[in-house]
Amino acid sequence: MLGRAAGDISPRRRRVRWDLVLLLAPLALLTGIFFDVPLLNTALWSVSDPATGALTGAHFQEFAQSAAYTRIIWRTLVMALEVTLLTALLGYPLAYWTSRLRPRLQAVVLAFIVMTFWVSILVRTYAWIVILGNGGLVNRTLQALGLTTRPVEFLYNELGILIGMTNVLLPFLVLPLYAAMVRIDRRLLQVAQTLGAGPTRIFWQIFFPLTLPTLAASAIFVFILSLGFYITPAVLGGGRVPLVANMMDLLVNRFARWEMAAVVSVVLMAVTLSLYSVYQWLRERGA
Amino acid sequence: MTDRSRFARAWLAILAIAVLVFLVLPVLIVAPMSFSSAQSLAFPPPGFSLRWYENLLGNAIWIDAGKNSLLLATLSSTAALACGTSAAYVLVRGNFRGKRIIEANFMAPAIMPSIIVAVALYIFLARIGLLGSFFGLVLGHTLLAAPYVVLIMQAAIRGFDIRIEQVAATLGASQWQILTRIVLPNLAPSAAAAWIFSFVISFDEVVVTLFVSGTHVTIPKRMFAELMLQVNPTITAVATLLIAFNLLALALLLIVRPRAKLFASEAT
Repeated sequence: MLGRAAGDISPRRRRVRWDLVLLLAPLALLTGIFFDVPLLNTALWSVSDPATGALTGAHFQEFAQSAAYTRIIWRTLVMALEVTLLTALLGYPLAYWTSRLRPRLQAVVLAFIVMTFWVSILVRTYAWIVILGNGGLVNRTLQALGLTTRPVEFLYNELGILIGMTNVLLPFLVLPLYAAMVRIDRRLLQVAQTLGAGPTRIFWQIFFPLTLPTLAASAIFVFILSLGFYITPAVLGGGRVPLVANMMDLLVNRFARWEMAAVVSVVLMAVTLSLYSVYQWLRERGA
Repeated sequence: MTDRSRFARAWLAILAIAVLVFLVLPVLIVAPMSFSSAQSLAFPPPGFSLRWYENLLGNAIWIDAGKNSLLLATLSSTAALACGTSAAYVLVRGNFRGKRIIEANFMAPAIMPSIIVAVALYIFLARIGLLGSFFGLVLGHTLLAAPYVVLIMQAAIRGFDIRIEQVAATLGASQWQILTRIVLPNLAPSAAAAWIFSFVISFDEVVVTLFVSGTHVTIPKRMFAELMLQVNPTITAVATLLIAFNLLALALLLIVRPRAKLFASEAT
């Protein structure tokens, strides 16, 4: 139970602090009733017969045996992996370059990155329709340069989703990575230089390994986020590229198959939580 | 410096700037396009016009959505601030078993993919008859915003000298007096920052809203619905206003708390 608060200087111990219980109660009740209970309820739905309420493994069996589910799960995993790799490949150079700029320039670049992070995902996703559409900036430029005569189809396919998701998720990798890079003790690199190591060797043998835990942790974080992405695939995929989250939407809102949506939820939740524990472990190592 | 490393540096700068442009481009391109006179999204815009803003402001559905969004964000960010701040106080000052687990539980709604929260809330609210109610929507948004309040306020309370509270207690102040007369006034800037943060979280929320809002329309919900049907330039005006709104919130946040951690995962 709630014991002494650190601010409590009364000599009595083991007294239940009802004032603290009262302060904790509103959020505890809100989280308990409208988060914990609904999640448990979802888990229950995944193993119950919708008509009788009896326990059954039939939904998980259907999930495992149906080619449609397997295909969408596989597609989501591949897409998440592609987004993660692209984010890492693009984000690392940006973080590295930023960390080596003069302090004032660093602040400017960081302000730009944080600004994008603050603009809603829906707006940033929509902007890609403006940029990548047939008459948009990219296609006009390509045509003006004579690289293509007909507009390139960027939207409503996997390429569009890949571009949009990478764009939205980049700050989640760049900002922690930048923070890790500026924390690295510069003297280590100077020592290596004094000992005769060239810049390439210093980077790969000293600098890069020191940033590796943070790179791995943020990459896993980006992977987790992309697994459950709903808005960007829906808007930039135009409904033609179903991923897990969009499938859950269809199961609930179109087919009213709550029990199957519950199964997919449980699977996605299990994957998310196990990856999240790896992420936490890596973060503790990196800090 | 060798030629080779100078060459490598130049390449790094070019690549990094290209990535930066890729990152920022969506935020920068929307505003100029919203003043286009063209019906299509042709770039560059052929002429200047305010027709999409006139379109937007003359449309009752958008105005209604705007009112709903503001009301919803005000209610849920205020509720989140109240619940989150009091919980954060107990988490920092209290010392009891199971604290880590309770704390993790409070954070979970922000970490869990929103689609899972959306489906779980949908099924649960349907069972208890709150699906499609404004009250259910407020509860959902409060749940999603509260973790950020807890994070921001925990950091603020940790930075507040506990001896000041101890002195007050020695002088005979009750716990309630300590909270309302000493702790809260000192934490006001952080509380304002937490409120703004929650407001933006709620104002921009799409996924949970799509699932549980029933017939209530918010700006992001309406925007998403229009995008799924057809792209029309009025959306560009909405997007521009949303960008302006979010950047205004960011500026306000920097005014009330100049050294705020602006990036959520920095604090987690």
